[in-house]
Amino acid sequence: MLLEVRDLHVEFRTRDGVAKAVNGVSYAVDEGETLAVLGESGSGKSVTAQAVMGILDTPPGRITGGQILFEGRDLLRLKEEERRRIRGADMAMIFQDALSALNPVVSVGDQLGEMFVVHRGMSKKDARARAVELMERVRIPGAAQRVRDYPHQFSGGMRQRIMIAMALALEPALVIADEPTTALDVTVQAQVMDLLAELQREYRMGLILITHDLGVVADVADRIAVMYAGRIVESAPVRDLYKAPAHPYTRGLLDSIPRLDQKGQELYAIKGLPPNLMNIPPGCAFHPRCPMAQDVCRTDEPALYAVSPARGSACHFWRECLHGPEQ
Amino acid sequence: MPEQPYEPERAIAGTGMGGAMDLAASEATTLEPAPAGPLGTGPVGKPRSLWSDAWRDLRRNPVFLLCALVIVFLVFVSLWPSAIASGSPLTCDLARSQDGPGPGAPFGYDGQGCNVYTRTVYGARTSVTVGVLATLGVSVLGSVLGGLAGYFGGVWDAILSRITDIFFAIPVVLGGLVLLSVVTSNTVWPVIGFMVLLGWPQISRIARGSVITAKQHDYVQAARALGASDTRILLRHIAPNAVAPVIVVATIALGTYIALEATLSYLGVGLKPPSVSWGIDISAASPYIRNAPHALLWPSGALAVTVLAFIMLGDAVRDALDPKLR
Repeated sequence: MLLEVRDLHVEFRTRDGVAKAVNGVSYAVDEGETLAVLGESGSGKSVTAQAVMGILDTPPGRITGGQILFEGRDLLRLKEEERRRIRGADMAMIFQDALSALNPVVSVGDQLGEMFVVHRGMSKKDARARAVELMERVRIPGAAQRVRDYPHQFSGGMRQRIMIAMALALEPALVIADEPTTALDVTVQAQVMDLLAELQREYRMGLILITHDLGVVADVADRIAVMYAGRIVESAPVRDLYKAPAHPYTRGLLDSIPRLDQKGQELYAIKGLPPNLMNIPPGCAFHPRCPMAQDVCRTDEPALYAVSPARGSACHFWRECLHGPEQ
Repeated sequence: MPEQPYEPERAIAGTGMGGAMDLAASEATTLEPAPAGPLGTGPVGKPRSLWSDAWRDLRRNPVFLLCALVIVFLVFVSLWPSAIASGSPLTCDLARSQDGPGPGAPFGYDGQGCNVYTRTVYGARTSVTVGVLATLGVSVLGSVLGGLAGYFGGVWDAILSRITDIFFAIPVVLGGLVLLSVVTSNTVWPVIGFMVLLGWPQISRIARGSVITAKQHDYVQAARALGASDTRILLRHIAPNAVAPVIVVATIALGTYIALEATLSYLGVGLKPPSVSWGIDISAASPYIRNAPHALLWPSGALAVTVLAFIMLGDAVRDALDPKLR
């Protein structure tokens, strides 16, 4: 396994109390594999990724338990300097909004070149040449001229391509993309996603795709992990999950996608709000919003049951859910 | 969307401008793909940035130009006072006490019979030296301490913030009277040292705040995610984006330090005679305001213009650096 997260716990200490953002997340990505992590805002998907990258703000954040095994080493036991060397070179991250993720006062060429200067000790001139190559690699027209331009002089799609180029500069084994297309126009989203998928195939890297867009996931991902209240509630190969979700939350998400054959009807929405992370409901965190909730859900926290060898669901009633709702 | 590179040949072929072709062709060879950003203007190679935008604004601002002119003149005068004033500011003739303007003394003479014009010109050196050095010291010390506290946070940040609170509680003039009255050295250094001691918390607070703001930007997290070290993040990604407020406050503070030097010298704890300072001259001339107002007027006027020039320059720079005012 390239990356294995085991029973990760992260909490944030704030003035109002302790917010438990991640409560025992486990997932794994192999090389060449794409894992989509799906969930609403505040489900802990980005925090998990930040913990993996080692860029969690501490304080207020704190990793209170678990292991992050990367190529067999537990990252949480490494010194900061060793982790810094891994970041960028062996694992990299693509951010949501490239305009704010690129430094406004440094030209894109210098920012791309910085990767080679920091990790490879290249001269500025060589780094600049590599920056142009990278920009051509992500299909930026006129790369040789535009290498001196500043981020705000590029369109949104172009900026995200530069962000991708930066993340892939040193051909890392693992890339985490945190909602890479959310800030883009729908027309550009597909282009950027295709580029990312193409480069991933070429470099055979492991990709963690964090998103709340089920549409993006279907084409690209191999596996899906659905998160709710800092926990993985369902983990499955992408086809199986779309065919028959084994958790009522996943079912709710799939039902809330607008569909052409239901034109004119009211769009389904999961009732209620995501839980307050300072006060997560006892038992199954989803029970207050769950149409299938029984008494046992209010008291007993469901483990991740093995639905099949490649599939897990954290629902007491995964069988009922899998074989259709009993309304 | 500019996904296609701009192709000069095709563009010209389509224009069919006939006689204008030569000109168009020669221009076209130098054309490069136009920048594509939302603000995409200007040729490639002259990227628009906060600083170039600010400079463009400032060049068109008459207040800035006037203040800059006054300041350039002041710096020139403090470097080479003898270029515009003959004689020594310390050559005084009691026989000419409180005389009006005469040949070689367009501002007249003060109570000791010293040439007011010469003394005013030489006084600029003290003011500019104290103002510039105090501002430099305050900016360096304040930025480093405040910046580090803002970046690393935690215990050191808390300690530093409380220390700045303590310094803010010290009244400047009273503090100067107490601290400087025990100093015997008659140079600018104790005055500058005092100003740095009391002035750094102001800059440190600004620097801390703007580093904290800059630190939260995604590009800082992105730089960290790509393996940049703390030093690199601070110097390359945070400092250039956090320095603008410090520059503004420092420029305005420069004016106030010049005024403070004059105040301390007036009170007799800053520079003392035979040093030459506008504060000393104002102090010496104030008892004779009715008999010889000119001896008070000129150093006071010079002080007021100087302080105003720096403060208004700082204002202009602040306006130019604030994108929201554009």
